[in-house]
Amino acid sequence: MAIAEMKKVFLLAHRQEREKIIALLQRLGTMEINDVTAGRAWEEMEALMEPGQAAADLADTEARLAEARYCLDFLQRYFPVRKGLLEQFTGGKIALSSTEFSRCGEQREQMHGIYLSCREAEEKLTALRTERTRLQAALNELKPWAGFPLPLEEIADTKRVRLSLLAIPVNQMPSLQEALAEKAPAVMLEEVSRDRDQAYCFLLCLAEDEAVVGLLLKDAGANPVSFPGLKGTAAQNIAALEEKEAALQREEEAVLDGIKELLGERERLMAYYDYLERERAQKAIGENFAQTGSSFLVEGWVPAGALPDLEQSLLKESKTAVLVARDPLPEENVPILLQNRGLAEPYEVVTKMYGYPHQNELDPTALLAPFFFFCFGICFSDAGYGVVLALLSYFLSRKLKLAGMGRQLLQLLFMGGISSAFFGVLFGSWFGDLIPIKPLWFNPMEDPMRMLIFSFGFGIVQIYCGMAIKAYRSIKEGKVLDALFDQGGWYLFLTGLMLLLLPQARAAGQWMAIAGAAVLILTQGRSQKNPVKRFFSGLLSLYNVTGFLSDVLSYSRLLALGLATGVIAVALNSMGGLLPKGVVGFILLVLFLSGGHLFNLVISGLGSYVHTSRLQYIEYFGKFFEGGGKAFRPFALNTRYVQVEEEERPVKDVA
Amino acid sequence: MSGTVIALLGAALAVILPGIGSALGVGLVGQAAAGVVTEDPDKFGQTLLLQALPGTQGIYGLLTGFLIMQRIGVIGGNLLDLTTGQGLAVLMAAAPIALVGLLSAIYQGQAAAAGVGLIAKRPEELGKAIIYAVMVETYAVLSLLASIMLLFGLSL
Repeated sequence: MAIAEMKKVFLLAHRQEREKIIALLQRLGTMEINDVTAGRAWEEMEALMEPGQAAADLADTEARLAEARYCLDFLQRYFPVRKGLLEQFTGGKIALSSTEFSRCGEQREQMHGIYLSCREAEEKLTALRTERTRLQAALNELKPWAGFPLPLEEIADTKRVRLSLLAIPVNQMPSLQEALAEKAPAVMLEEVSRDRDQAYCFLLCLAEDEAVVGLLLKDAGANPVSFPGLKGTAAQNIAALEEKEAALQREEEAVLDGIKELLGERERLMAYYDYLERERAQKAIGENFAQTGSSFLVEGWVPAGALPDLEQSLLKESKTAVLVARDPLPEENVPILLQNRGLAEPYEVVTKMYGYPHQNELDPTALLAPFFFFCFGICFSDAGYGVVLALLSYFLSRKLKLAGMGRQLLQLLFMGGISSAFFGVLFGSWFGDLIPIKPLWFNPMEDPMRMLIFSFGFGIVQIYCGMAIKAYRSIKEGKVLDALFDQGGWYLFLTGLMLLLLPQARAAGQWMAIAGAAVLILTQGRSQKNPVKRFFSGLLSLYNVTGFLSDVLSYSRLLALGLATGVIAVALNSMGGLLPKGVVGFILLVLFLSGGHLFNLVISGLGSYVHTSRLQYIEYFGKFFEGGGKAFRPFALNTRYVQVEEEERPVKDVA
Repeated sequence: MSGTVIALLGAALAVILPGIGSALGVGLVGQAAAGVVTEDPDKFGQTLLLQALPGTQGIYGLLTGFLIMQRIGVIGGNLLDLTTGQGLAVLMAAAPIALVGLLSAIYQGQAAAAGVGLIAKRPEELGKAIIYAVMVETYAVLSLLASIMLLFGLSL
């Protein structure tokens, strides 16, 4: 239960060893590197040193990194790899040994070649697709005329006769035909085809009728259609274009086949990408250093526990490095690394989800762990579901071999399963009432009032604990009176009020409540100078009893969620009971119950998790925890695709 | 109108209103999530988690409806003949989850949809997005509790 002790570290070494030391720091992954020039000591050093720079060939690495990124995106675009639902949460990675990984950088030229092929393929594909779009547009124009027998080049005016092709709105056709018959009987208007909106027509008229016909056509909204430059019938042209399109499609498929051959390189590209990313980080980190002509200085934070290891590694691998470590100064913003052992460790997930503790605070992880454990169990409260959840998370953590928060979350769920099984046995719930086993304690569905009082009792214990932690902190900071007045007064007042509810202890409760109220009235306004104001702020503070009340009432969700899990399970079982008997009915029953209970397990499990978290964050943390700390982010190997094994990583993953 | 019919109305409303609310809420989050997933398909799992949150009111409503059906004997075979007073009592017992379920699901959907926007930019803050939505759900849980306690307490 702790926040790791941090040391401020200064590392000075000869510039010749710069690359070696950067690589060493990254491999160890135990130091958070800060910008020297942003630090307090810089003013004194400014005369001696100049700001450090990134390595000169950083741009080269960045360019290659962009190339690898391009290739991966390109392959993903044409041949996407879908991540499974589970992998989206866990991020499946390729396992590589550290020697394999360090060899990834040897294939730069080959990888550049892959990049060039990707570029070429994409350019070809773009060109082919533009051409195909153009062909398709031309085809769409020609298709309505497929049944028109005349060669297109012969649609031209002669001396006496006017020929034209027209697209006429369908709804105008009848009136147009009527008008033409009336005003220009020598006209021939023949419909070639029609679609939903337009009729495609061939028009033949005498030259002297042209003006009249033109006016009628204009009124009907007809559009002349022409195919300049095309020879042969529309059907011949369509056939030719379709053949061309098929050829383009074959060409496109050939290019795609070429890309498919590159797919075999995808894993190597991924490893190469991560390798370059490591190289980029190494080259870029120099910006945070300070340097003289022949030396450089690194400033940063190292957990005290990892310091000896860092010192020894430096001693072994460097001839010039000097390491100075000191305790943090009060005004320094120390990064936070949570270090919990054993059963409390998985609950770091809960703390991290809320935010890191401030540097002067306690790590709340171990303080919330037991409450989280029991809350989750009471909400889920089914022995059958608990066992299934525990087994499921056990096998998943075996199979997935996760690090960091994913592993902690599975451990948390495993323990949640155990806790649920425990309360399920107490309350006699095995997949609802599927397996009738007598409760060890009582069944909340038969006696919900008792369960409600138990929930409130649980809440009062947790809230009192939160207040005790606050008091402990005040005492540790030397403010004993604060603890006595604030928490002491409230303990007295609230306990007294609660005793008033019990007939046997009413008298004692009365006096306790009065004494507590007196303490609160006299002390809660102590920040006010004016005695009248002081009295009234004290009096008003008693109003906070409503806050306590609502906090306690909030724990009624333990009962509600427990009942929800149980009642849904019972409902599933009785709906299953309505299925017909017999072999088919039995098979249906098994399918229905396993599907239904799995659904309830997921929905109620999610509900239990989020509501349990809420009780910690709002009701419990509200009493003593502020948060707002900055997470410790060491300079370390960050990979996106590969998992490098045999890597020394003494500090836990802080992702 | 016989009491049994009024009680059945209670069961129906307990299922209908929170069901509508959840459908609206889940739909709202789904729209926001689909937008985010267009950009980054890998966020499907995370957004699905947020989308599931406003769905619980519908389940709470169904649960209350089921309890009513069990209490008045729709499930189990022998339908009780309730007085008008008893029927109204059952209807009142259904009222908390029916009304609070309807509204809280919609507002929870809005909070969760905003949470989808949050994880689009900062996927590591999923926990906080969930907590904002869960703050709304508290009131659905409390009204479910009130409905259940009322139903358990009624003598039919």
